[in-house]
Amino acid sequence: MSRFTGVWGSFTHLDATTDTIEQVRDKGVQPTVLSPCPRHEIEHALGDPQSSVPWIALVCGAMGTFIGFSFPAWTASDWVLPVSGKPIVAIPTFAIIGFELTILLAALSTLLGLSLLAVFDSFKNPMPTAAKRYLRFQRDRFGVVVRCDSAQAEEFAEILRRNGAEEVHVEKD
Amino acid sequence: MGVITYDYNAAEGRVVIDEHKGHPGIESTTYSYARINDEMLAMLEIPRPSYLLLLLGFLSALGLGALCLSIQVDVGIGYSGISHPIGWGFYITNFVFWIGIGHAGTLISAVFYLTRAPWRTAIYRAAEAMTVFGVMTAGLFPLLHTGRPWLAYWLIPYPNERMLWVNFKSPLLWDVFAVTTYLTVSVLFFMLGLIPDMAILRDEAFRKGQKLKGMLYTMMALNWRGTNHQWVHYMRGYLIFAALATPLVFSVHSIVSWDFAMSSVPGWHTTIFAPYFVAGAIFSGLAMVMTVLIPVRVVFGLEGYITDHVIQSVCKVILFTSFIVGYAYGTEFFIGYYSGSPYERAIFYYRPFGEMQSWTLLGDNQINFPQIAFWLMVFCNVISPIPLWRWKVRNNLIAVWITCVLINVGMWFERFNIVGSSLQHEYDPAAWGEYWPTIVETGITIGSFGFFFTLFTLFAKALPPMAITELKENTEPPLQNPPKEH
Repeated sequence: MSRFTGVWGSFTHLDATTDTIEQVRDKGVQPTVLSPCPRHEIEHALGDPQSSVPWIALVCGAMGTFIGFSFPAWTASDWVLPVSGKPIVAIPTFAIIGFELTILLAALSTLLGLSLLAVFDSFKNPMPTAAKRYLRFQRDRFGVVVRCDSAQAEEFAEILRRNGAEEVHVEKD
Repeated sequence: MGVITYDYNAAEGRVVIDEHKGHPGIESTTYSYARINDEMLAMLEIPRPSYLLLLLGFLSALGLGALCLSIQVDVGIGYSGISHPIGWGFYITNFVFWIGIGHAGTLISAVFYLTRAPWRTAIYRAAEAMTVFGVMTAGLFPLLHTGRPWLAYWLIPYPNERMLWVNFKSPLLWDVFAVTTYLTVSVLFFMLGLIPDMAILRDEAFRKGQKLKGMLYTMMALNWRGTNHQWVHYMRGYLIFAALATPLVFSVHSIVSWDFAMSSVPGWHTTIFAPYFVAGAIFSGLAMVMTVLIPVRVVFGLEGYITDHVIQSVCKVILFTSFIVGYAYGTEFFIGYYSGSPYERAIFYYRPFGEMQSWTLLGDNQINFPQIAFWLMVFCNVISPIPLWRWKVRNNLIAVWITCVLINVGMWFERFNIVGSSLQHEYDPAAWGEYWPTIVETGITIGSFGFFFTLFTLFAKALPPMAITELKENTEPPLQNPPKEH
């Protein structure tokens, strides 16, 4: 049994897709949109949703900076090797390690963060299996998926058709 | 239709880009999504015999390298020309050279992404692949150079039996951190860019009924569907990666340069080394990108993607970096003279003219390897790019390709000029020496080129050499009601 109840359709044109998104949002429903490439027109139509990936990168990058300075400082203090009266905990030389670990941890956490957030979002916004298997969304078609109860399905299907959807599918339990 | 090349619109005073008409110099920005899809996927079809022949050539070079490598590891480092006082020879030269080659990819994919250079789209995927392969090739050499590569794990920061940690104050350890971070970030950046394209390949494989291929690409696509939720995180993450990779590009070769500059060896101990190395790395990396992509454009008929405008733009960056490199060469000599240090003056006489026995312009007339390296470096890196100032030369594929090959040769010799010459003539004349490479070192060097080009040739047929999704992003979107002409 499908977990999805609602409507989905495919579009050839970008402006038709954005018009549909706006009309669906006017009805109080946030649709899921599929596109072969990122388009700022779609983002605007969806109300410019934001990602929390930068915060993850910032926190993990700061952790990298902290580890990059504190770890060499600890190892230098753990086994003191005095050379020519130079400082044991030498901040300028540890800046290199600090910088590299900042970049490394921020990059790793960015990848992990965006992967996990995308997975969470896919659970929050389930898609109909038929839409997942529609082979043209990666190629040259735009898709609009509207989750709604069975009673509203026909109303949203009509919005999709009115805006020139190439195909419209109603999915009910 | 021929390729339109507009470098500059005199009336507007700049290159004019109309979002709904595409970039005037990049024909592919007017293509439809489906056309881009089909043309890119056509490149991945069964290879022609000429491709296999080329691959065989590179594999032969790789085989030669592997043979020499096995001799080197089996017999020991004494089988190379490296001996006191010259501890760094071909291997470290190759390391610095290949790291430099790896710089163009991240520069193109990250720096030019942040600056929104439209000509980067067609070439950045291949350049990124070259980064990954370049750094992989480079990474082999420090391990080989140690003489006992099976003990490479000693470089990893962990305490030994006496709880003694690695020395975090050593530039050589900084290099371990810099190169491993660069490799990791480059690989992740490369893989991240591939995810949406893998989804395209997955759908295409299923459309054609190729289930096995489809399953393979399904795994590589990581459940990519192109939803707005995925795109918003992806695009934000990609931007962060670009922002992180940008300082990384400049830091890696700076840190490589500090392997030299932190020592007190004449000719190495200079503050100019970091920018000098970075400019050289970008210079050689871009030249390698052109060396590889010009044949790719011709073989696959990609004139609409890698247009003359794209090649012209890369040539301009090559010219700019050539200028920086030439300036750095001059500065090194001036500072050598101006420092008043006899050791600095001596090494900068030795590099172009050899021994100082007769104090004539040609020295003692006995040519040594650093002299050959020096003059090749000057000719290839400073003189040979000069014709690129002319529009006609930049528009001539053969001329550009030959110049780029010469730059690659010149940059390899520049690396040798730095690595090899200073160690031959340090402070004490009693400890001077001369370095000539052995056949084994030469074979391993040839093998490194075989390794790099084999990987790139395999990449060109296994994965989309251009970012299909970004090509679509840069093209005119399909509109029901296009905006009216104004």
